[in-house]
Amino acid sequence: MDSNTGYLTTTVDAVVNWARSNSLMPMPMGLACCAIEMMAFAGPKYDVARFGSEAMRFSPRQADLMIVAGWCSYKMAHAIRRVWDQMADPKWCIAMGACASSGGMHRCYGVVQGIDNFLPVDVYIPGCPPRPDTVIHALMDIQENIRNEYSVLKDYQSGAQRLAPPESRPMMMTAEGVAAPGQGVAAEVAR
Amino acid sequence: MALKFHFTPADTPRGGEDNPHAKASTEVADTVLALREVFGNAIGDVVVYAGEHTVWVEPARIADVCRHLKESLGFNYLVDLGGVDRFTEEGRFEVYYNLVNVEGQKRIRLKVRVEEESPQVPSVTGVFKAADWNERECFDMLGITFEGHQDLRRMYMPEDFAYHPQRKEFPLLGIPGSLPLPSQTPGGPLTMDPFAAARGSKPVKSYQEPQSTQ
Repeated sequence: MDSNTGYLTTTVDAVVNWARSNSLMPMPMGLACCAIEMMAFAGPKYDVARFGSEAMRFSPRQADLMIVAGWCSYKMAHAIRRVWDQMADPKWCIAMGACASSGGMHRCYGVVQGIDNFLPVDVYIPGCPPRPDTVIHALMDIQENIRNEYSVLKDYQSGAQRLAPPESRPMMMTAEGVAAPGQGVAAEVAR
Repeated sequence: MALKFHFTPADTPRGGEDNPHAKASTEVADTVLALREVFGNAIGDVVVYAGEHTVWVEPARIADVCRHLKESLGFNYLVDLGGVDRFTEEGRFEVYYNLVNVEGQKRIRLKVRVEEESPQVPSVTGVFKAADWNERECFDMLGITFEGHQDLRRMYMPEDFAYHPQRKEFPLLGIPGSLPLPSQTPGGPLTMDPFAAARGSKPVKSYQEPQSTQ
């Protein structure tokens, strides 16, 4: 190598995560009024293009960040999970607004009380609806997460570790009560 | 299906004070008289509240009354149809029909009451096509069956849902296990607990998921 040409040492993580964090393509799962704020977040005034996320991808194959904006019904939950499963790894998820995070004001039988019951959520945004700058804040949190915590090694984890069962199994609840190891209905009542 | 039953006290009636917003279009005394002439005892009480006429109809004749109103008296537009759970011992369920005479600029409200044991009302879809989805909604939410409806499926809830959520004894947060959530991993079992996260279940990130076998 010519000694007059400079070179730089770095890690693959630093380069790949820099690229990933600055080109997050959101999958806009707009379900209710939060979706309007999400549009403002992508629009010219708040201009998320500054963070490289202006390309909303309505195809899950091309997206790596799902923004669930709005209340999610039990019927819609299955469609959301299906879209999430179709997204290519690595992927992140934002629960935007009170309804997506916890059910919000929709405390009723038809609305899922927080999408973290079936999706691995990385960032929750409070607000009803949250302002677009809050959504940008959440996006920056995701970027921080990618730069500091994510590693390309996780993309290539395979074999024993990937064949191992997930960390936690969902508890099954039937009309008779909780049917799972751990706490049962009686323990719940006793507490 | 046997659900717990809690009784709530009834509100005291508010009395028939004059409605300052009442319109002449809701005064349909002549239409009520015309209905009485044709249907006689099938027309029950007629209540005038806040300048609006409400006609009680015998459930079995509701489709005939609607047909007569549409074809002879000009009430050709079904604005709304819906159900009420009054949660009383007698006449628990109520179905209301709001009709409009577009030409004559008149409105009339019909009501029928059915018992909890046999919540069956003849369908008016043969008269008003618009009643189709309203009756499906009413069936979905309250479990009132509309006899003669061509396609009485649920409107909102999944088709295998076992309950009627707008009935008063249905708990606000639903019945655990009746509406499954998606699986926590691709191809996994459905999440039957609607509060899985509150009980400590945390869906895993995709790189922690078990490898696909497909």
